[in-house]
Amino acid sequence: MMTFRLGIILLIACQTSARAQVAGLLDFEREVKPFLARHCLSCHGEKKQKGDLRVDLLEGKFGEPRMAGRWTEVMDRINSGEMPPENELRPKAEEVARVAEWIASQLTEAEAARQASTGEKVSFRRLSREEYRNTIRDLLGVSFDADDPTGLPEDPDWQGFERIGSVLTLSTAHVEKYLSAAETALDEAMRLGARPKREVIRWSASKMRTRKDVAEELAAKGILDQVRADIVPNNGALDALDLNIATTGEYAVRVKLSGLRPEGGRAARLRIYATDLSRTLFEQDVEADEDQPVTLEFKAHLPAGTHLIRLVNAVSGPNPEDRASRPLNTKPFFRMKSRQPWQIKLTDDEFKPIWPTILLDFVEWDGPVHESWPPPSRRRIFFEGEGATKDLAYAREILSRFASRAYRRPVETAELERLVGLFEKSRGLGDDFETSVKTGLLAVLCSKSFLYLVEGSASSPTSGLNDWELASRLSYFLWSTMPDERLLDLARKGTLHQPETLDGEVRRMMRDRKALAFADSFPRQWLQLRRVGMFQPDRKIYPEYDEFLEKSMVAETTGFFREVLEKKLTLREFLESDWTMLNEILAGHYGISGVRGETMRRISLQARDHRGGLLTQASILGLTSDGTRHRPVHRGKWVLESMYGNPPPPPPPNVNAIIPTPANQPKTSLRAKIEAHRQEPNCAACHRKIDPLGLAFEQYDAIGRWRTEEAVRDGSGANPRLDPSGELPDGRGFADARGLKGLMVVDLDKFAAAFTSKLATYALRRGMTFDDRKSLAKITEQGKLDQYTLNTLIERLAVSDFFQKR
Amino acid sequence: MSNILSQRWLLSRRRFLRGMGTTMALPLLNAMTPARAATGPLPRRSVFVYIPNGVNGMTWQVSKAGREYELSPSLRPLEKHRGDFTIFSGLHHPNGLGQAHVCADTWLTGARIDAQSARQYHNTVSCDQMMAEVTSRHTRFASLELSISSGTGQPNNSTTLAFSRDGVPLPAEDNPRHVFDRLFGEETGGVAARRLGLSRRRSVLDLVLDDAKGLRQQLGADDRTKLDEYLHSVRDVEQRTARLDAWLDKPKPKVDGAPFLREVSKDRAGEYYRTMFDLIVLALRTDMTRVITYMNGSEGNGLAIPEIGITQSRHQLSHHGGDPEVLARLAKSDGFLIEQFSYFLGKLKGAVEGGEPLLDRTMVLFGSGMSYGHSHSNSNLPILLAGGRGLGLRHGKHIDYNRPKGGGYKLDYDEWLGLCGRPKDDQARLSNLMLTMMQKMEVETERFVDSLGPVSEILG
Repeated sequence: MMTFRLGIILLIACQTSARAQVAGLLDFEREVKPFLARHCLSCHGEKKQKGDLRVDLLEGKFGEPRMAGRWTEVMDRINSGEMPPENELRPKAEEVARVAEWIASQLTEAEAARQASTGEKVSFRRLSREEYRNTIRDLLGVSFDADDPTGLPEDPDWQGFERIGSVLTLSTAHVEKYLSAAETALDEAMRLGARPKREVIRWSASKMRTRKDVAEELAAKGILDQVRADIVPNNGALDALDLNIATTGEYAVRVKLSGLRPEGGRAARLRIYATDLSRTLFEQDVEADEDQPVTLEFKAHLPAGTHLIRLVNAVSGPNPEDRASRPLNTKPFFRMKSRQPWQIKLTDDEFKPIWPTILLDFVEWDGPVHESWPPPSRRRIFFEGEGATKDLAYAREILSRFASRAYRRPVETAELERLVGLFEKSRGLGDDFETSVKTGLLAVLCSKSFLYLVEGSASSPTSGLNDWELASRLSYFLWSTMPDERLLDLARKGTLHQPETLDGEVRRMMRDRKALAFADSFPRQWLQLRRVGMFQPDRKIYPEYDEFLEKSMVAETTGFFREVLEKKLTLREFLESDWTMLNEILAGHYGISGVRGETMRRISLQARDHRGGLLTQASILGLTSDGTRHRPVHRGKWVLESMYGNPPPPPPPNVNAIIPTPANQPKTSLRAKIEAHRQEPNCAACHRKIDPLGLAFEQYDAIGRWRTEEAVRDGSGANPRLDPSGELPDGRGFADARGLKGLMVVDLDKFAAAFTSKLATYALRRGMTFDDRKSLAKITEQGKLDQYTLNTLIERLAVSDFFQKR
Repeated sequence: MSNILSQRWLLSRRRFLRGMGTTMALPLLNAMTPARAATGPLPRRSVFVYIPNGVNGMTWQVSKAGREYELSPSLRPLEKHRGDFTIFSGLHHPNGLGQAHVCADTWLTGARIDAQSARQYHNTVSCDQMMAEVTSRHTRFASLELSISSGTGQPNNSTTLAFSRDGVPLPAEDNPRHVFDRLFGEETGGVAARRLGLSRRRSVLDLVLDDAKGLRQQLGADDRTKLDEYLHSVRDVEQRTARLDAWLDKPKPKVDGAPFLREVSKDRAGEYYRTMFDLIVLALRTDMTRVITYMNGSEGNGLAIPEIGITQSRHQLSHHGGDPEVLARLAKSDGFLIEQFSYFLGKLKGAVEGGEPLLDRTMVLFGSGMSYGHSHSNSNLPILLAGGRGLGLRHGKHIDYNRPKGGGYKLDYDEWLGLCGRPKDDQARLSNLMLTMMQKMEVETERFVDSLGPVSEILG
């Protein structure tokens, strides 16, 4: 029977992993080897091999998956106290901790080395879903809805990064989706024939809400056009209409409406949702007086077919109508003041709105919109215009130009001949010129050289990038899309890598609008924001949590990053700042008043707001919680992982649960329970390094709200007051989150080193290893010269020699 | 050691299959139309239904072993199907022990993935896909992947149960309408146009395959790269396209799509589950496919069930911390899922083909890859196997590897925790059951991952 040890046991290595590596080599002879000899080898050595395990043969073999598995087992077993068995000599807890730390650091290192997979002659890094979408947009000039749930599968991540070459797999489903996506995109890009007729489909409120005979009656009275559609919160599917789209394309959508806001309440929020596409086409808060409606306009890309569109007032809370369907009114709504007794109550006695209410006049779907015809996307492919001679030479030139752009390098002769062969085969089967060209283009879009970023050569192994590869690395790093003409031109000239050219190009790229892709994607991946809302907060405990709040939480963090980047601020801001990005709903969530509207903007913070830096943002506090309660240990682990690039080793399996407090006992805080677990010396040795980093944030609940006491259900008496104080392993103490952030600012260099490594992981699409340490340190040191200004740190990385290594 | 051996076996089989390539696949395809000759062998089918986060073992565990057992409170809705299923206690995946977050990823693969130290993720082929290799020659679709969330999810939080020969997750679908359209939707443009489109696709695939093969050869055999993954996938799609082509002349069955074409919200969990189960029955009944995996919840997305007052996800319920109130709700959620499963078995029984209930030629594995969710223990997995009597399975028993002689369960918290922490019988491997199913599906193998042999207790 295995001995269960108490506690959620997590070990952490307090050094950075690079330091652990150096130390690791020394420690092995001095500490690890004697430990194994003393405690393990008598049963798992040359003479005896209990459980088929020989620990002495494991030495150094962390790179092999199976050996790594055995090391993990050794770590888990000694960690849990299961090994050595009870009748043997017991090692001290600190000794166990150090050996486990050593194993963990070796495993982390070996793992990063595998992620890097630098040994390949040619490396293939698949485009992520986001990059595929952007590349199709820039290559063909048509939009492609990559997030369509029937489309490409979501990409897997590694420590948050969704672009790691070895992790991005490709399955048959991908190939099928790539085929059909490319077919659809080419159809749209190459569209020919008469210019599609632009039509306006108009949904008036009277059409939405009035029966035919009543409409006639109202028309006779001349008041039909005064009917408005009243939409109260959470109307769900009550206002759902069929939209018949004849031609795929861009549509301009106009909505005329008023949005009434109750005193002290939220603004009404219009959401237009295409049910069949599972896609929100538009969403916005609306504030406009009853007598002063506004007309909102947005663009939507709609495929041909019938779409079920919902017009929703997306404010959380109860639905005052409380019904599953609404018959067409015999007495439609006109004005708040003329409400009929049988209509739902929208106002108080002074005719002030009691719900966030939308009064809608019409929705117009106008399109497809084409600025010119034939569309530019077609002219780009058939570059000689509609009158050109459609012969083989022209087809060859079309395919050559297109493939060279798609492959982000000149197409090779053999590749081009194959494509031309496909064109001819298609012609031979009776397809017309257009269709045959299209077949060739389809092959380009499904080929390895388009779907993967290919680096290296099978014939002549290289360690650096050529100019074409450099152009792609730069553009997928800063723009998440293919290189533009200018970058490709410089690659063709072979001058891109020259320092002065490269400097200028990096700066140009950072100024380009496309760099917003970096400002948005990098923080999402670095901070693992995908996990926000992964465990949906309990609707009973957190009724105010909704989709809009969640989106605003993420927008604060990505907006914060963008602000630091654009305003040329330093990495220090990520740890502590006297400002943040807020909109009304999030400010309300934080208890900060005076922010109105949904746009995120920079707001100055006071000490009483208890915010500043990344760590006290609701997104971060939420993603480390489990939807019911905050999780201090996970928060500590997240800080180590994301801020210091130093993920702690795992807890041993099958640790016991924290037992609830019996009803007759005083209420106990989570902290007290965790600390009770730590009485076990095996746990304490490790947890004192990780827990303080999470417990510092005790005063923030599972959805990131400030609090001073913990709401505890079980037990009797008052809720316990929260204690966020703690001590770092080196003995420095802090009183609360602010204190910890202060200490982190003192250790800014450590954070900067980890941040540079995260940035490089994103840019190079691989894990960083021991071999990269010197190069990374050099970039970090340069960054220190200007106090780690974010944008120059990025530039320094992009122009470094390191960036051009494979 | 043993799974190393089996991996090697997988590789050689993979090479063998791939070596056959398209030239072998085509004659088979031609031979198979029309779908099933009246004299041909009757279909063999398998469905896998996954529930996330483990269960409340105190209300799930059946005490008595053998035939004379009494159903536990959570399993009671299954009473009417008693003769059609077997309950297992004490099964586990040896490679899964002590792994917190891989239970769904490896439920059907049995692979060792070290998730906790977040090292490189590598999974292996799932048993359903090995079955699909055998059955696919008879059906329009090789297999169907369904789930509570579309796509693949992330490594260690998979939203699909199916993994290819390369260990790559196969994306699942969550929307009944999309699935229905894919299975039964009319193809536009008529047969001739479709055929032209497919043959165009095939020449495109041939080209990109040639293009990649050239480079593959230059790279040499030892340099395993992402290129292999690409090559295998393109080749598989090539074969799928060939199959679609072969099926073009055979019209799709006309079925009533109304129940699937409307929108079914996941907020109404019961209705959503029943719709998905109806869809599975329909797909089997029309022989569109013979292998289906269905995650009726993933670890991160096990539905709240507002209709019975459960507002938390199953993940939240499973982190009960021993709280009796939360445990009671978990039991209620378990019972609810079993009710839906009972509905599914009822439908499979009700559908009759050739005088035999569909259930008799369909094996259904139901269960979780987790047993005690709160601290991620995964021995003593909750597992049921139903159906397949026509394939030679015998049911009606509780096979208890925890206590083969049965009885003596206290059904308290500590006992449950103890049973889930470490297997009582290390030979009681879930892979044995999977092997049994695979053999019934005519997959020619004596082994699956770490299996020791088929489960003789259920073989007639």
